[in-house]
Amino acid sequence: MKGKGLKGSRLQHYCSRVSRQSRLWVATGLMFFCAFAWGQPNSVVSGTLGAVGSDTMAGLMLRWGEALNHRYPNITLQFQAGGSASAPTALIAGTTRFGPMSRPITESERQQFIDRYGYPPHELSVARDALLLVVHRHNPLASLSRQQADAIFSTSLYCGDSEPLRRWEELLPEQQWPYGKIALHGRNLASGTHGLFQERALCNGQFRRDISEHPGSSAVIAAVGESPNAMGYAGYNHLNPMVRALPLINAEGTAIIPSVATIQDNTYPLSRDLYLYVNLPPGEALPLAEQAFIELIFSDEGQRIVQAAGFVPLPQAQRTPPLLDD
Amino acid sequence: MTPPRLPLSRQPLRLIHDRIATGLITAGGIGVLLAILAIGVFLVWETLPLLAFGDALSLNTLSPLAWGTLKAALAAMLFATPIALGAAMYSALFMSPRLRSRVKPILELMEAIPGVVVGFIAGLLLAPWVERHLASTLLVIVWLPLSAALAGSLWYLASARLRQCLPLSWAGIWLMPWLAMMATLALWLAPLMEQAWFGGDLRRMLDQQYGLDYATRNALIVGIAMGFAVIPSIYSLAEDALADVPANLMEGAQALGASRWQALWKVALPTAGPGVFSAVMIGAGRAVGETMIVLMASGNTALFSASPFEGLRSLSASIAIELPEASPGGITYHLLIFAALALFIFTFLVNTLAEVVRQRLRQRYQRLGGNR
Repeated sequence: MKGKGLKGSRLQHYCSRVSRQSRLWVATGLMFFCAFAWGQPNSVVSGTLGAVGSDTMAGLMLRWGEALNHRYPNITLQFQAGGSASAPTALIAGTTRFGPMSRPITESERQQFIDRYGYPPHELSVARDALLLVVHRHNPLASLSRQQADAIFSTSLYCGDSEPLRRWEELLPEQQWPYGKIALHGRNLASGTHGLFQERALCNGQFRRDISEHPGSSAVIAAVGESPNAMGYAGYNHLNPMVRALPLINAEGTAIIPSVATIQDNTYPLSRDLYLYVNLPPGEALPLAEQAFIELIFSDEGQRIVQAAGFVPLPQAQRTPPLLDD
Repeated sequence: MTPPRLPLSRQPLRLIHDRIATGLITAGGIGVLLAILAIGVFLVWETLPLLAFGDALSLNTLSPLAWGTLKAALAAMLFATPIALGAAMYSALFMSPRLRSRVKPILELMEAIPGVVVGFIAGLLLAPWVERHLASTLLVIVWLPLSAALAGSLWYLASARLRQCLPLSWAGIWLMPWLAMMATLALWLAPLMEQAWFGGDLRRMLDQQYGLDYATRNALIVGIAMGFAVIPSIYSLAEDALADVPANLMEGAQALGASRWQALWKVALPTAGPGVFSAVMIGAGRAVGETMIVLMASGNTALFSASPFEGLRSLSASIAIELPEASPGGITYHLLIFAALALFIFTFLVNTLAEVVRQRLRQRYQRLGGNR
């Protein structure tokens, strides 16, 4: 009796273990099945998207990639940030279909692409950004004209001023502070920000030699934020309370504060587009996964991500996704 | 006498092991040499397209960078050499062995601090602080060595009992509170002195009277930060060289009536000269090639200025900043490769010079009984 009882309990124990295990298996199987069934409608589009390009847009691409993966679990976006200059190289070499760039593609890069493929790459404006002139948060300077900005940062003075501006006393004659030379901070030579500032703010002139060059916009902001007699230029998305963005005086003589509205409608003089270049032969349709990505970028969700990444979303009128067939 | 050679199958295993090892080591050595040669050939090959653009361009672009590299290395060596060599002399010859066995590993551990960390601290904490407290910093830099010398003369004048309490071989410990006190004193005095002599603001005075510009990140900051990074390597090698000076030489000199200073200056330093010299040159080589500290602490302004308060830009920092974004085959890319070639030649020259001078000195001082 005693032995039987023991045996029985042992058997029971064994049974319960088996059943627990099998229950676990069933549950897992069910879960997989559910996931499969739930993923079924989306599994039509799947694959890995590749993109190579701008450092500036790295954060943005990453967030878009996450959102895309959330919408379509079978699609992943792999992004390599190698600077804007790496995008045309990769597009021409055919290693990627998407090339995000923080500046427009140059004529020679476009020509190389055409030589290789026989058609130009598609240019999509996917977000807006601006270059800011920043000063220390306590700096009393109210605004700056574009001629002054050129006179401060360049040696060539192509924008129309006659004298280079080197000292705060010349810029703010009635103020006691700050004084001395304007300490200049900017980006390094190869960056898109450097090139764009040269083109738009210096009228294609030459930079001064004594500008401190930093490897990123946030480094520029940090350097300006810690010294009161400094001025620098940086991308909009890096702005923080350590520094103040200077309003720029436009051709009509009104000072334009850089804000979402003025950057969106292009009234702020140093606003720019961020681009996505797409390699698509004419007459062909994009694969569905790529279409899904472009759809996401131009959707309200995609543009909310733009804002979350610190850039300025496209104006409502420009949010119709191109390159889609439906 | 070499033993007669046996056929391979009958050689003892040990000999075969020996031959395999020798072969591997030789192959490794040749491999390294080939790799160095290949790097040189690659750099020269990739610079060739620059000839098409003319020499003027590359000279104009690269000469400020070469100057910046030299300036940064010079600033670092000015800061590091006296401290590192002084520390090496003291710890090798005069410090109590118990203290030395603790201090040396700690100083050598300093070498393990990554350059990025040093550069980060220098660029983001030290540089703004120095900018706000320029007068204090300069005063501390001048005052600390002087106060150490002052401590030395006070010790010399002190009574025998006090000297017993503060033995010379433990000076490394009891000088610390003294130096800390002196630094505090300097920091406290500096604003008063600035008020009295420099019109309340040294920077404004420098600017208005001498036209000296002050950049936040400048050669002074680079010198301090990179000097800090170079100290351990100079110290460690120089200390080894000095500690290897035969004890009987020093003892003999002192027995013949030489003072500590004379024994150090006339006997120990000449004997260990080659080792000390190569320690300094290796430090200089590191200072020339160091990237992250210069990149983060220098402002990267390609200027031709000798002022310690203005920024600089070094070859290595330029390569680190620009290369990721330079499109291969473009002119920037070739210029950067040229910069790399210049850097390669720089460090090669420094190291070769170090080795040649070391061999010369070693021959000259061999008769003194030194073995280094």
